[in-house]
Amino acid sequence: MRSRLLPALLGLLLALPFVLLGLLALAEQWRWPAALPPAYSLTAVRSLLGATDNDLLAGLGRSLLLAGTVAVLATGGGLAVARALARSTRSARWEAASYLPYALPPVLLATLIQPFIIRLHLSGSGVGVLLGLLLVALPYATLLLRSFWTPQVAEYESLARTLGCTSAQAFRRVLLPLAWPRLRTALFQTFLLAWFDFGLTNVLSVGKVRTLTVQVFAYVGEANSQLAAVASLLLLLPPALLLWLNRPALLRRPE
Amino acid sequence: MAASSSFFSRTLLPAYGLLVVGLPLAGLGYALAGSLGVAGPLAGGFTLHYWRGLGAQTGLLGAVLYSAWIALAAVGVAAALALWLVLGAQEALRRGPLRLLLHLPLLMPALVVAFYLFQLLSRSGWLSRLSYQSGLTTSIEGFPELVQDAAGVGIILAHVLLTFPLLTLLLQAIYEESRLDEFRQLTLTLGASGGQFRRRVAAPVLLGRAAPTLLLSFIATLGAYDIPLLLGRPYPQMLSVYIATRLQRFDLRELPAGYLAGFLVALGLLALIGLLVRLHRRHAL
Amino acid sequence: MTFWLSAFLFYMKQRLLLYLATLALLGGCNSADKPREAAQVLAQSWPQIEAAGRGQMVSMVMWQGDPLINRYMTTYVKPEVKRRYNVDLQISAGQGAGLVQTLAAEQAADQPSEADLLWINGETFYQLRQVDALLGPFVDKLPNAHLLDLQNPFINTDFQQPVNGMECPWGNVQFTFIYDSSRVAAPPRSFAELPAFLKAHPGQFTIPNEFTGMTLLKSWMMALSGNPALFRGKFNEALYRKWSGELWRVINENKRYFWKQGQTFPEQLAPLHQLFANGEVAFTFSNNDAEVDNKVNQRVFPASARAYVPAPGTIQNSHYLGIVQHARHPEAALLVVNFLISPEAQLQKMDPNVWGDHTVLKLSTLPAAQRRQFEQLPSRRYAPRREAIQNLALPEPDPEYMTRLFQDFRTQVIEK
Repeated sequence: MRSRLLPALLGLLLALPFVLLGLLALAEQWRWPAALPPAYSLTAVRSLLGATDNDLLAGLGRSLLLAGTVAVLATGGGLAVARALARSTRSARWEAASYLPYALPPVLLATLIQPFIIRLHLSGSGVGVLLGLLLVALPYATLLLRSFWTPQVAEYESLARTLGCTSAQAFRRVLLPLAWPRLRTALFQTFLLAWFDFGLTNVLSVGKVRTLTVQVFAYVGEANSQLAAVASLLLLLPPALLLWLNRPALLRRPE
Repeated sequence: MAASSSFFSRTLLPAYGLLVVGLPLAGLGYALAGSLGVAGPLAGGFTLHYWRGLGAQTGLLGAVLYSAWIALAAVGVAAALALWLVLGAQEALRRGPLRLLLHLPLLMPALVVAFYLFQLLSRSGWLSRLSYQSGLTTSIEGFPELVQDAAGVGIILAHVLLTFPLLTLLLQAIYEESRLDEFRQLTLTLGASGGQFRRRVAAPVLLGRAAPTLLLSFIATLGAYDIPLLLGRPYPQMLSVYIATRLQRFDLRELPAGYLAGFLVALGLLALIGLLVRLHRRHAL
Repeated sequence: MTFWLSAFLFYMKQRLLLYLATLALLGGCNSADKPREAAQVLAQSWPQIEAAGRGQMVSMVMWQGDPLINRYMTTYVKPEVKRRYNVDLQISAGQGAGLVQTLAAEQAADQPSEADLLWINGETFYQLRQVDALLGPFVDKLPNAHLLDLQNPFINTDFQQPVNGMECPWGNVQFTFIYDSSRVAAPPRSFAELPAFLKAHPGQFTIPNEFTGMTLLKSWMMALSGNPALFRGKFNEALYRKWSGELWRVINENKRYFWKQGQTFPEQLAPLHQLFANGEVAFTFSNNDAEVDNKVNQRVFPASARAYVPAPGTIQNSHYLGIVQHARHPEAALLVVNFLISPEAQLQKMDPNVWGDHTVLKLSTLPAAQRRQFEQLPSRRYAPRREAIQNLALPEPDPEYMTRLFQDFRTQVIEK
């Protein structure tokens, strides 16, 4: 009994946000003490999807592109850096340094690195935003993948080389499959990190890289709660889809 | 790969260092320079005015203490909840649906969580309406104050909601990796009780190995912004809100004080990160 | 202490320069990218400006939290400037001190700005002037400028600072109380009646600790003084002390009748609007006298919401368009500004169903037919009529009053 009840309760707790946001998105004139909305309408959905002259769809594309690039660069880079780190004689120091970006609270980070991004002539461009996002995502992936490069893995690799693999073959046939579960996690998490970013993207691009998040974030937490709910759901749905597609991997138990 | 390894260590690491060490340090330097009046808009030249005025800024200390309380409570509750789940509901956790559900908070940015909890928990929120309809409360004021309350219950709840599912997944992974189930069988055959196994063996192993992540969650909660802005009070403030108030509000002359606060907070977080790295080393492999 | 700090600073600066040099090398510095001189831009005639601006893009930075305002910009202004001048208007989110910091950092780096056109007023205007980030005076250049009501002190002066052509008026609004008439039959008609009203209706009223709330405090302080004219001109410390002291006394005496017994105040206006919409408080506020219509039309506020101006009046101010000193496309920005103050664009914007922002044009300068269009706009249903509140309008005092009220509201009320 207990083993049934607990998942049900937890499920309720974790799914509740989606239920309430869904109700709020459709509710009209919903005031205390009404437990359910007196009327439903698609006004907010329409005004958000209609007001931005299809820029929203372009924003979705930009978001996917930016978050995808960050995920691939951070994960690929993270794997390489983690390997270099494992072989470095100052491995511990490098690892410690990887935490440095997290000493600046996100609110502060964008403000403080902006002057340098401007001086690099990267302000207002996608490259500047990419650099800012990598500053957060790359060390994250590096730290996540650091524990992959154990001496054991090095042995596997040298074994593969002794058996006649080229280094590229050893990487593709031996290392990549071994690292894949971790890489998948790193890809997923760095993707989300970039997907949800508003502050760095908006500040470093001076509002010019109009990702989906940048476009609808202004509505979340504004006066119109119906609109805020629609904007929230719009942000949540694409990664939710990603989570759903990714579920076989998430459900598999670690070996 | 071996041939290119020297290429890696020669160029990759310095480039990496330039990004993850250079840029944050440059930012920190900018904050320091700003607090001394040599950088930033309206910088009027070197002055120690803002550093001298630090003693009078009791708000910063208040924000440090309040943030520490929130982060401690949030991570504490989240860790306890995760531990309780991993030790008490192994069966359920090994099956699919719950695992998938535990990933849901990953999908929610802080601002959305804050907005959701505001609509759920405020005195005119959904819970208050449901409790009124079911006769538990008879007025708006009858519903307890769960957001914008003095103790920060709303902020803590929001962070627990965001953290505990991920901690649960982490502890579960450690549980499985450390083969604690086999240990359990072993201790049980040796005559120990299930409770003894959980308290003496499992909990210390799980918490010990998760310590770096717990500290990282603590640091992340300390720096939280969106959630306290919506669910907190204007006084006491959490650190990021305190800094942002000074960096983003009406008076440019307050900027150096904002840079100063930001610089000091970053130094404090650096010290915590130093601790984190030590913890990591102790638990490495 | 001093020595240690300066030594450290010196060390940091050296390191900083080193990093900068390396980073700049990596970034492939392009030093030819220098900003253009403002005087050069403004020396051109309008036909020259029009020729230069045609076909360019304009990057406009503005607050983007209101769907109606965004819709006005994207579905009306954007296609219109495209049609008229082939200008591609790109709108991005940004405001206040963050914007000032960005522009100041661009100037410090001696680079052209990523922003061309800004929606600003009050303290942001003041700060941008302080860091010399605005292009101008440019208003005289605009063919539509002669239609502007620049004799009106509520339009030609922004927080006691003469506009002097450095920003172009765009809209004009007045602070109002918004209340739920289904819950409050007789709201306090004056600031003097407010304390007694709070006592009789506890828990229904609060002050947001942000821009709109500060406008409320300014109006209340000026009301207490009995003579709002005292607050004209430069900041007066003695005057401020006297009447802010009185204000804190009145608020603290009645604090326990505020929402949540005055133990806390909302940090932003949006959550207060949500509390009002949910029915937790009976009052909210707006810096735009027509916002109540706009929000009822969007069904955010109940149809029983009404707006009014308590005696002896509230602050009326204007909001403006500024052009960035080192804008990449100043000519195209001028074309957009000229369109935004055209009678067509102003009329469209004044409709409460579109935005409800009052015009800055002098209607008597318009042809009779056009004037009639303004006068016959779908009238406000829930907001007071403009003519009824014009004699209840107080001018904005010096920005310093707001800065100080914001600081002292924290120390004298919130933290007490």
